This record gives sequence, structure tokens and C-alpha cells, in this order.
Amino acid sequence: MILSLFCILSFAAADEPKLIKHQITGLFSPDREKDLREVFEKQLPQFKLVSIDFKNAEASFDYDPAKTFPGAKPEQIVERFDNELRNATRHTFGAKPLRTIEKDKLKLVEISIVGLDCKACSLAVYEMIYRLKGVELATANFKEGKATALIDPEKIDRVEIEMVLKQRGVQLKPQE
Amino acid sequence: MPPKSQPRPPVADKEAVIKLLKGSLIKAEQDARQNEPRTGLRRLTRAEYENTIRDLFDMPGIALQGELPPDGSAHGFDKNSDALDISHVNLAKYIEAADHVLNLAIATRPNPPTVQTRRISLANSGGFVAHVIMNGDGVLLRDKKPDPDFPPAAEQNHIDEGAHERMGSFHNGATVGLFRHEDESLSPYFIEHVTIYPGLYRVRTSLWSFQWDKGQVLPSRGTEAARLSVVQLTGDGRGGQHPSYKLGYFDAPSMDAQEHQLVTWLNHNEIIGFNVASLAPVANYSRKGRAMAFTGPGIACDWLEIQGPLHNVWPPVSHRVLFGDLPISEFKAADHPAVRPPQRKQVRQLGAGKNRPDPAPGLWTVQSDQPLVDADRLLTIFLPRAFRGPVDAELRQAYVAKVEERLKAGDCFESAMRWAYRAALCSPDFLFHVESGSTLRVENHDAERRSTLDDYALACRLSYFFWNSMPDKRLTELAAANKLHPPDVLQSEVDRLLKDPKSQRFIDDFLGQWLKLRQIAATDPDKKLYPEFNPYLQDSMVAETRAYFRELIDKNLSASHLIKSDFAMLNEKLAVHYGIPDVKGSQIRRVPLPPDCPRGGFLTQASILKITANGTTTSPVPRGAFVMDRLLGQPPDPPPPNIAAVEPDVRGATTIREQLAKHRDNVACASCHAKLDPPGFALEAFDVIGGQRSRYRSIGDGDPAPRGAIDPFIGISFKLGLPVDSTGVLPDGRTFQEVREFQSLVAADSNRLLRNLAERLMIYSTGRDTSFSDRDQLAALVAKTQAQGGGIRTLILEVVQSSLFQNQ
Repeated sequence: MILSLFCILSFAAADEPKLIKHQITGLFSPDREKDLREVFEKQLPQFKLVSIDFKNAEASFDYDPAKTFPGAKPEQIVERFDNELRNATRHTFGAKPLRTIEKDKLKLVEISIVGLDCKACSLAVYEMIYRLKGVELATANFKEGKATALIDPEKIDRVEIEMVLKQRGVQLKPQE
Repeated sequence: MPPKSQPRPPVADKEAVIKLLKGSLIKAEQDARQNEPRTGLRRLTRAEYENTIRDLFDMPGIALQGELPPDGSAHGFDKNSDALDISHVNLAKYIEAADHVLNLAIATRPNPPTVQTRRISLANSGGFVAHVIMNGDGVLLRDKKPDPDFPPAAEQNHIDEGAHERMGSFHNGATVGLFRHEDESLSPYFIEHVTIYPGLYRVRTSLWSFQWDKGQVLPSRGTEAARLSVVQLTGDGRGGQHPSYKLGYFDAPSMDAQEHQLVTWLNHNEIIGFNVASLAPVANYSRKGRAMAFTGPGIACDWLEIQGPLHNVWPPVSHRVLFGDLPISEFKAADHPAVRPPQRKQVRQLGAGKNRPDPAPGLWTVQSDQPLVDADRLLTIFLPRAFRGPVDAELRQAYVAKVEERLKAGDCFESAMRWAYRAALCSPDFLFHVESGSTLRVENHDAERRSTLDDYALACRLSYFFWNSMPDKRLTELAAANKLHPPDVLQSEVDRLLKDPKSQRFIDDFLGQWLKLRQIAATDPDKKLYPEFNPYLQDSMVAETRAYFRELIDKNLSASHLIKSDFAMLNEKLAVHYGIPDVKGSQIRRVPLPPDCPRGGFLTQASILKITANGTTTSPVPRGAFVMDRLLGQPPDPPPPNIAAVEPDVRGATTIREQLAKHRDNVACASCHAKLDPPGFALEAFDVIGGQRSRYRSIGDGDPAPRGAIDPFIGISFKLGLPVDSTGVLPDGRTFQEVREFQSLVAADSNRLLRNLAERLMIYSTGRDTSFSDRDQLAALVAKTQAQGGGIRTLILEVVQSSLFQNQ
């Protein structure tokens, strides 16, 4: 009896999904959630997308790294996952290690942009911002005509972000 | 002589002297040429060479001409034996060309390349158009509205073309609407298909036009025209910038997509180019508000589809011409230890083409179990075709010996045969017109000794006259049966050859030289004086002249039509240029002209008027000289040495006529100018691009110029200067007040017009100049033509039936 109960509990534990969370790049606007789901459904079925947290640009997946990336060390998993995702999406999505800095230590910057006309323009502006050192999260939304960045104020500030955008030919709306 | 004020000698005395002189001159000429063929041995021209290869191997688009050295010209044509020399450079190029031909002709795989069908957007990856769309010189459309996923560029351009490519902005099936004409910075290409396998391809496209109004798509002003062309990619894959050749102009009706289809040959690394030909140049990238501030016409391309290579049979005809039905099998070195494998030339696909080559099938080649027997058999078929006449056994055996020599040296069968075929394609029997005569017979009471061409040589004369290429099977059969000389057979063959689409080569080549159409692009009209000029207009001009000559032949119209006509061959572009209403679309068609319209004949066609001007100004002297030489057959004497040219006054202070008047007062110049100025004065009614005018355009002083038919998007800065005086006096004293009167005077002299055309056709078709002793025969030929109605087609037939044509 006790042995049977133990087996049932073991099988129950074995059925729980091994959820792995990654920080996702390319989630620059809410409608990108749908794009991301489509990617994993049609092109990367080996990674089962369980949930998306847009505000933190994170997503949880159900997959076994040992099977999907045989021989990879734990510190290599994110990089391998990133490669798969980039190759499948022409580098419009990617993955990076989870943010370590506390969110309440970050500062939100909002920048209004002229000519943010379409989704691809939003991707362009997003990519200009999120790669900057000190930018932990970024969004760009052509429907709202603005980009946001959650920054570590000790590493970067608004002025620097605006300078980078201007250097890349992006026209900013004057701050009100 | 004598001077006009002095009495003339009696007519009978004059005629007696002329007869005496004529007889002496003719006899002297005949004695000098006794037993010599009239036409010297001459090689194929570049065009003849290319066409002959194309027809021999059934490779209708293989490009060879551009690689050969330019031909000379004598007596107005490059076919003339006086113009066609040959050097070591020619021979080196012929060897290269032969290798290229054999590389393309020989099948190197057991099955044809996979037929790929690719539908491409004009905003394809790696092309220019996506970039200009980002900046507002084009838009993406869906269901004839702006694509909601890609709003038109407005205050700002779209950001980062690469991001748009990666997000698939240009690959979502949207239609591309383009406003901007090609220019130094923009060459729209369909770059996603870069030809790998030379051959025939089916090209389809869907086009329509619209009026863009700051974000709205509305019906356009009418049917616009788009141009498709073929562009040869250069070694770095970036493109040749300008088209290698044009496929044509295609209608884009207002708001109604029209599909167009054509089958064309494409060579290695060729792509399809595009241009919004009928639109004026605009540049929204520099306009505040870009596309959202623009109102104007656009041409929309839904897609371009390329399918090919198309093969009806495999191995293709080109291979069978060389190797018949011999099997192709895989060459395994282990099975042929002492034999060198065939060489294969690897071709790298340039550019960003998404079509991919088939997997390499291994090394396949034609093989033979009895190589010398097969070589003899294959050469027995090939050599007479290539050499355009019978080949005796001794000559054929010399080629078989070449095969044997290579086989003994260790070449495989294909390589050994290539050696012989290359030698054949570089031999005088192929490269030269070898015209054999038959009986040497005495002709007419002047006892002139001529050699009549045999049937094979006559077949070649006919085919190179009307097709610029080798005789086909029918002509060869008639020649082999000695049945080509009878007049009814000749007439039937001429009709057949003229009816075949290949006769367009004759029209293009003959007019290119007789009327100098090859020089149509020799000058670029001044952009300030003639801002309305563009390549579409120029191409339309050439198309008009070619179509008009075709119409004269097909309908057997009289020689007066060379000067004056009640119809013209026009498309909308030309009709607008000429001020003729109600002609729509890009295709050339016959259009009746109003009674008072001077257009129609060659004399007043825009192509001729452009060729005889210098891009900035007109002058009666070159135009008059052209008319006298090319249309009337009375070339003026060259100017005396040390006479300064008259420099036109572009400021418009004096007219060319006024400047020329001082020149004509010079006694040394007056006698020639009395003849060649009148046609030039009549044609002063037309500007450098063939537009009719009553006042000269000026960049200096003048009155504001009305826009007229000039596109509203083209800025006008020229003024209207001094009035044009197109009156004149012919050498015989008859006067004309304007060009139409001049046309009537000249058109009435149909004998002279026919005589000149007959002479041109004779020089072109026989490869030699006409001489003094040919005058009577030419006159007789013209008289026969006039007796049958005086039609141009009848003249051509009489040329062919004449002894001048049929004799060596």
C-alpha cells in the first residue's frame, strides 16, 4: 500500500513540466506576443511556449535542455536557445539571460518619436535602444508614437539614448 | 554650266555627247572587271554571325555580337566587302565565341534543369525599390489602397530598411506603386531571379496605373507605360545600371490590372529590369511630407513571375545539332582510365537571386561506341548546314581527322568533337560568304560577262538579305534541287521570308544603316531646352520608323510614302509629341493623319529629325545633306577644306538661317548650298527631337513658353525666341512656303525615290557598291516597278529578280 502510494506520488512529480524562463528580445509591443506564439507553434515546436510576461519581456518554456541541446553546459543553454530563435525569425526575436537587477532600481524613460510609422520602424527603434549598455527593457510602439526604456540610471541616461537615436536619423518630438 | 544667263546647247547634241561618254565609261568599267566577281569575298558581319549561330543552334538569344570587334562601313553599309577586314583580333574573338557557343549548346546533364517558377515583388530583397519606398518615392498597396501594415512615408521616412526586410514588410504580397523614374541613382530590378541556365523563360507581369493624392489612390490620367528590360549583372553582382536590351513597353491601364506575358531568352546572370517609362521624373525623398504631400501619377506592379528554363525536348536542339541522338551517360573515370574527362565551365551566380541551381548531377557526356563512324556521320550533317552549301568528302575527312587526332591524344568523344566543331565555326567556310558562280554567260548586247550565282549562293543572298542569317531548310532544299532561280519560285520565297518574324532583322539592320537609326542615341538633347525628352520617347521614335517601313512593305505602298503619307505608325507617347489626339497606349499602331498634318513619311519622323540634329540645335546643312544623300540619292560634295563650320547661336539672337545666309553668299559655297539648303530649310520646322515649331527655343532672350503637351511634372525654363522660316527655293526655281509644300514637291519625283531605294537595297543585299555601268539596270528595275504600281514591295521583288542581285 505504502509502496503503491510512493509510486503514484513519483509519477505525479515526474509529470510536472520543467519550465524554463528566458528573457526575450523583440517583444517591443503587445501585438508581438502573437508573433512570438506563431513562431514557436510553426517553426520551433520543440520548445513549448507556456506563458509570456510582456511587462518583463520574459517567457516560460517547457523543454528538456539535455535532449534539445545535448552536450551543452548549463551556461550555454541561453545562447543555444537564442541562436535557434534568431535563425527562425531573421533576428527579430532573440533570447538573453534573465535580468538580475531589481526592477525598483530601474528608471522608466519615455521618448516620443516622429515617423514611427509601422511595426518594422518600431523594431528598428527598439533595436537601437535595447542593445545599449544599461538598458534592461525597451518597447517601441508605432500606434502610440513612442519608445520606452527601463534603464539602470547608473549606467545610462535619457540624454544618451536620445543622442543615439538622433545619430541614427530618428527624429524626436520635442519634450512637453 | 553654262551659266544661267547663257543659251543652252541643243538637246540632241547634249544627248549625243552623253551617249558617247556613257558607252566609253561602261566599256572601260567592264574591261577593268573582266572575269572578276563583282562582289569581293567578305566575312559575316557581327549581326550576321550572331544570327547565324542563333539559327544554326536554335539558341535565339545567345549574345555574341558585343564580344566581337566592330565592323567597318563602306557605301553606307557594314555588309560591304570593302568594309569587312579581318585581323588576328577577330580570329581570337571567334575562337572565344565558338567555345562559348559550344558550352551553351552541349547538354551536360541527363535531364533538363528543373523548371522553376518564381513570383517576385518589385520591392525585392537587395533591390533599389525597397529603399525608395522607404523614402516616399513609392508606396505599398493592397486592394488598391495604401497597405495598412506599411503606411506611406510622410514627414519622416521609414526607419532602417534592414529591419523592414527582416520583418517581411516587402514580402507580404503587397503591390508596389512607384512614382520615381529610373535615374543615375535608381535602377529598379527584379533581383530575386538571376538567370543560372541560359534558355527560354516565360515572363509574366501584372501592371496598372493610378493617381496618388496625398495618401489616396484614385483613377489615373490614362493608360501609362512601363518598360521591362534585360540587365546583365556585372562581375560584382551590382548590376549593369543601364539595360542591356529592352523587352518592350507594356500598358498599365487606370485602376485595372493588365497581365502581360512574353517568352524571352535569358543568358547567364541576366535579370529583368523595370521602369515607369511614361512618368516624368519626380523625387519625393527630397520633398517635405514625402509621399503624403505628393499628388501625381504612379504605376503599380503587382508582381513579376519568371518560369524556366523552358525546354520542349531534351537534350535540346542545340545539342542534337552537334551529337544527334547519341546517348548521354555518366562519365566514370574508372571506366575510361586513359581518357581525359570533358571540361565543364563553372558559372557563378551573381547577385541576390533566390533561384538555385539543381544539384550537380555528376559528370555526364555524350559517348560513342564507334567514335570515328559517328564523327563522320555527325559532320556529314553539320558541315553543310554550317557552311551553307555542299561539302565534299575530302573537306569532311579533314574534320574527321581532327577528331581522330584528339581521340588519339586522350580526349573523350565530346572533347574531340568539340575540337572539330570549333575549327568549323572558325573556318572561312563558316565565317565568309563564299559565293560560287555557275555558268559564265554573256549578258545583254554590251557583251558583259557575268557569273550567275548558283542556287546555294542565291539562297544565302536571299536569307542574309531578309533574315540576316543562314538559309532555312526550305531554301536549302530548293537550292539542292536547283529550283531556286525560276522567277515564280523566287517571288514565293521572298514573300515567305518577308512574312516570317525573322524579317524584322532586315528592317532593323537596313534602316539602322540607311537612315542611320543606329545613331539615335548619339546625342543627348539639352535638358533645359528639351526637358520633355526621355528614353521612352526615343524608343518610340525608332519603333515608329521601323513599323512604318514594315507597313510600306506589307501593303506595297508607293515611294511617295517615303516623304509624305496620310498615316503614321504611332503610340500614345509619339502621338502626344506630334499633337495627334486620341491615341492611347504604348503599342505602335497605324493612325490616320489629318489632311494638313506633315507627319507620316520618313522625312518628318522624329527619329530622322533627331539623328540629323546635335541635341541642342538644328542646322539646315546636315539635314539637307541627309535628305539629298539618303532619300534622294544625290549626295552633296564634301565642303572645301578650310571652310569654318557655322556655329549656331544658342542665345537666340540670330537664327541659323540668318547665319547661313552670310555663308551662302560666298561664291565657293553657293552652288552646293543651293542644292542642300532647301530640304534643310523645310525641316527647320522641326526641333532637335522632332517636335514641330514656329519659333526657336532659347535659353537666353525670349517670351515665356506655353507648356503645351509637356508633362505638368516637368519644369520648363526655355523661352520662345525668333520665328522659324521654313521657306525655300529648289535648284530648279520652284518655291515652297512650308514643309508640307516641300513634301509635295519631293514626293512627286517617285522615280528618283525608287531609284535611290533600289540602289540602297542592292548595295545592302549584294555586299558591293553599284557602279556607273549598273545605272541602266537600276533604271530598268525602277521602270518595271513603276509599271506594276510603284510599290516598295514590288521594288524589293524586282531587286531580287534582277541580274545585279543574282550575279556574282
